[in-house]
Parts: sequence; C-alpha cells; structure tokens
Amino acid sequence: MLKKTEFKVGLFVVITSVLIVASIAYLAYSKGLFTREHTFTLSSTTGEDLSEGMPVLFSGYRIGRVGKLELNDKGILLITIRVPEPHDQWIRSNSTFSLYKPLIGSSRLIVTTNDLSSPSLSPGTIREITIINDINETIKKVQPTLEKINEVVTNIERITGNLADPQGDVNRILRNTETLTANLSKKETFIEMATGNPESAKSVNESLKKVKDILVKTDEQLYGDDGTLPLIRKILKDIIVKLEKLNAALDNVVKISADASDSTKDFKLLRAEIDSTVTSIAKLVKDLDKILPSKKEPEIKLP
Amino acid sequence: MTEFIEKIGKASMNATATFRDILFFAFTILARIFQKKTYNSAMKMVLVNQIYFTSVQILPLFTVLSIILGSLLIGIVLQIIKNLGLAEYLGRILMGLVVTEISPFVTVLLVALRSSSAMNAEIAVMKVNKELRTLDTYNIDVIDYLFVPRIINGVVSVLLLSALFSILALTSGMIFSKLIFGMSFDVYTNVLLKSADIYDIDIYLIKCCIFGFFITLIPIRSGLSASDDLTSIPIAVLQGMVKVFIAIIFIEVLSLILISL
Repeated sequence: MLKKTEFKVGLFVVITSVLIVASIAYLAYSKGLFTREHTFTLSSTTGEDLSEGMPVLFSGYRIGRVGKLELNDKGILLITIRVPEPHDQWIRSNSTFSLYKPLIGSSRLIVTTNDLSSPSLSPGTIREITIINDINETIKKVQPTLEKINEVVTNIERITGNLADPQGDVNRILRNTETLTANLSKKETFIEMATGNPESAKSVNESLKKVKDILVKTDEQLYGDDGTLPLIRKILKDIIVKLEKLNAALDNVVKISADASDSTKDFKLLRAEIDSTVTSIAKLVKDLDKILPSKKEPEIKLP
Repeated sequence: MTEFIEKIGKASMNATATFRDILFFAFTILARIFQKKTYNSAMKMVLVNQIYFTSVQILPLFTVLSIILGSLLIGIVLQIIKNLGLAEYLGRILMGLVVTEISPFVTVLLVALRSSSAMNAEIAVMKVNKELRTLDTYNIDVIDYLFVPRIINGVVSVLLLSALFSILALTSGMIFSKLIFGMSFDVYTNVLLKSADIYDIDIYLIKCCIFGFFITLIPIRSGLSASDDLTSIPIAVLQGMVKVFIAIIFIEVLSLILISL
C-alpha cells in the first residue's frame, strides 16, 4: 500500500516538476538566457532619455539592450550595450550609434552599418552616440511658421489697434471719406469739388465744347464725300490697276529675253554646222586638188 | 468609552501577539527544514503520505476544476480584451493575470479549503487527545514528525498544483484564442513567450512557496492553541481558517506591491 502511494506521489512530483522545469527552460532559451552576449561601450555627453534595458535596434529589429550606464572620471556617460551572439555581426568598426527620441513613444538606440564587410568593432573601442530628437526637429520645422503666425498676429493687432484708435489711420481715412462724400453732395460737379471754384468748372466745360466742335469738323474733312480719306482710296485703286498692267509688260519682257536666249543657242549650232561645212569643203578642195592637179608633176598613188 | 478603547487595545495586542507567535513558529519550522537530521525515514513517510492526500488524491478534481475555471476565466478575459480592443496586450494580460495572479490564488484557496482545515482539525484533535504529549513522551519530535512534513507538503503541493493550473489554463486559452481571435497556436505561443518575463516567474515561484508555507503553518499553530476541551476544536479550526484567509490576502497584496516596484 505504502509503495503504491509512494509511486503515485513520485509520479506526480516528477511529472509536474518536469513540466515546470521544461517551461522555465524553454522560456529562458527563448529569451536568449543561454546565448553568449557581447558587450560594447558607447559614450554620451548626456544621460537624458537613456535607461538600462533600453532596446538596441538594427534595421528596426531588436538586437540587444542597454546593460549599464555609468559616469567616467571625466564626467562623460559610458553606456554598455549587450548584444547576443548571432546579432553582434551587425556591429562593425564603421557602425554609427544614435539615440532616437521619437515625438511619441520611448527612446531607443539605433545602430547603422553601411559596410557590413568592414571588421568587427573591438570591445575596447568607445564610440560616441549622436542624438536624433524628433521633438527638436519638429520645433525647428514649426519655428518659421510660428514666426510668420506671430507676424500676422502682430499685424492684426496693429490693425485692430488702429481701428480702435480714434486718431488712427483707418478712422482718419473714414473721416476724410465722410468729408469727401459730404462735399460731393454739396457740389454740382466733381471738377468744382476738385478745384473748389465754380468759374473753373465753367471754363473747362466751354473748352470741352470747343474740342467737340473741332472734332466734328475734322471728321467731316477726313471722312466726308470730298474728304481726304476717300480721295486716297481712289488714288490707291488707280495705282493697283496700273501696277497690274506693268506686271503684264514685265512678263512679256521676261518671255522675250527667254526667246533671245534660245536664239543664241541656235546660233551656236549654226556656227558649228558652218564650221563642219567649211571643213568638208576644204577637204573636197584638197581631194579635187589631188584629182585635178595644179602641180607640174602630179603623183597618183594607187590603192 | 474607556472600555471600548480597552477592547481595541486588547484586540491590537492579541493580533500583535498572534503575529509574533506565528513568525516565531515560522522561524522554528524554517530552521528545522534546513536541518539534515529532520529528514529521517518516519518524516519522509509522513511527507509522502501528506503529498498523496493533498495533491495526488485531489488531482482528478483539481484537473477538472482547473480546466473549467481556466477556460471560463480565459474566455471572459479574452472576450473583454476583444471588446476593449486590447488584443495587443493579450500576452501580458494572460501571463500577468492568469499565470502570476489567478493560478496561485485559486490553487491556494482550493488547498486551504480541503487540506488546511483538515490539518487544523487533526492537530487540534491530537492536542485534545494528548497524542502530542504521548509522542513527546516517546521522544518523538513532533516538529520533525508532524509539522515539517505537512509544511513541506504545503509548499510542494501549492507550487506543483499551481503550475499545473497555469499550464491547463494556458492550454485552454490556446483553444479560446483560436475560437475568439482566430489566432494560430504558433502566434499564441509567441505572444505568451514575448510577454513572459523571468522576473515574473521568480515572483510566481516565491509567492507559491510562501502561500504553501503559511496555509499549512497557520492551521498547525492554530490547532496547537486548542485546549484539552473538545469544544475548543471547532474554535481552533475557525480561528485558524480565518487567519489563513487573512494571510492569503496579505501575501497577495504584498506580492502585488513587490511586482509593481
């Protein structure tokens, strides 16, 4: 009976213990507790937003964590990062380290490696980290806009101040406009209001009437039945007719010159024929001379 | 008025005395646990029997209860997570709530209800029947023979049963996450692993050990406080169980404070 009980208890203890140990071992293995870690040291002038356990990212993937933060004897913060075995390959001698402070979310250390073929970073080397601050970047971007808004607000404030001020520009303009419209309502014409003298307005009116008469006369002289412009038009028509005739005459001249050119060609041909005839006659004379000898001792060659 | 203040003072003094008494008893037991001579054959036999009565006998009932309670709990938690749109915290909630908090708490309640009360009554009866004095007469150390095996049994049982509860609850959680979220088993395992922290597991194991230690120690001490009168047995059991539940709440709160630190 006791043996049976012992067996049951033993079985229970062994199975549950194995389950617990296996779970913890699997968890530890998954968390990389058994993998070898490499440590690298970085430096920074400030420890702000840096904390132990902070993730170290490469290409957005977590490759390690910040292990320890401490100040050296010169007051510079030394940051020890721990990177497990397979991930230390991403940290090379030309790697750069930056502390990224996003606008929203927690800060992180980012490793950037441009040349993966460069040698590994030796553990004794201390590299300085650069700080990328989203908040400051955003403030920098927003600053000009804020300055402009500030200017606009100042202008609006000035305008509203001006509006509120009874002696301000706007109120003065309004008062002037009021005076102007009041004056305009009192005067008969704008000229009278501008000059302030009714006589001047009358003289301007008379001058305008005279200008109008002159314009009517000029119009008659220019566009009337016997005016200048119809006469010019008639002359131009005559010139066009004459030019057409002249054009025909010029065509004839061109034709005649072309014929003359052809005739000179015929002359050349005629001369060539005459030359040929003269040559033939000379040859004939020579032959006749041979046949009818004029010489004392003719010599006839037999074929 | 004076009487009322006197009552408060008396109650406070009694509470302090009880707390001091339990702590003193706890140190005595702890000292014996780490002594090699405590582990004799008689003690080992009692220990095996105690584990059998507390853990193995309860196992079928505990397994069924774990599956039902775990499934119910995980189902409710997952449904709430889904309704509140907190799916990304699934792993953290399951590990933090179910594994670290609920499973030790449920286990310790079950063990306390079944075994602690039994131990309390057993020791009180032995005290009334003068069995403890008889053992002492035969030079049998009651601490080694009776108390240490029961308290070690409490620690081992709560630790193992709680782990079993966690495993069963998380397994049923796997099925529920598949049904509610359509989450594959691989994804579920990865979510849990990502959320699990060795520190949480340490706290969980320590908490289970402390729970197991005190839910057996307090009933034993309470049983010892019974007089020679038979009517003192139910009083001792009642007082012992009340102290056990206060201790459970106290340890739970203390562990929560420790985790939040």
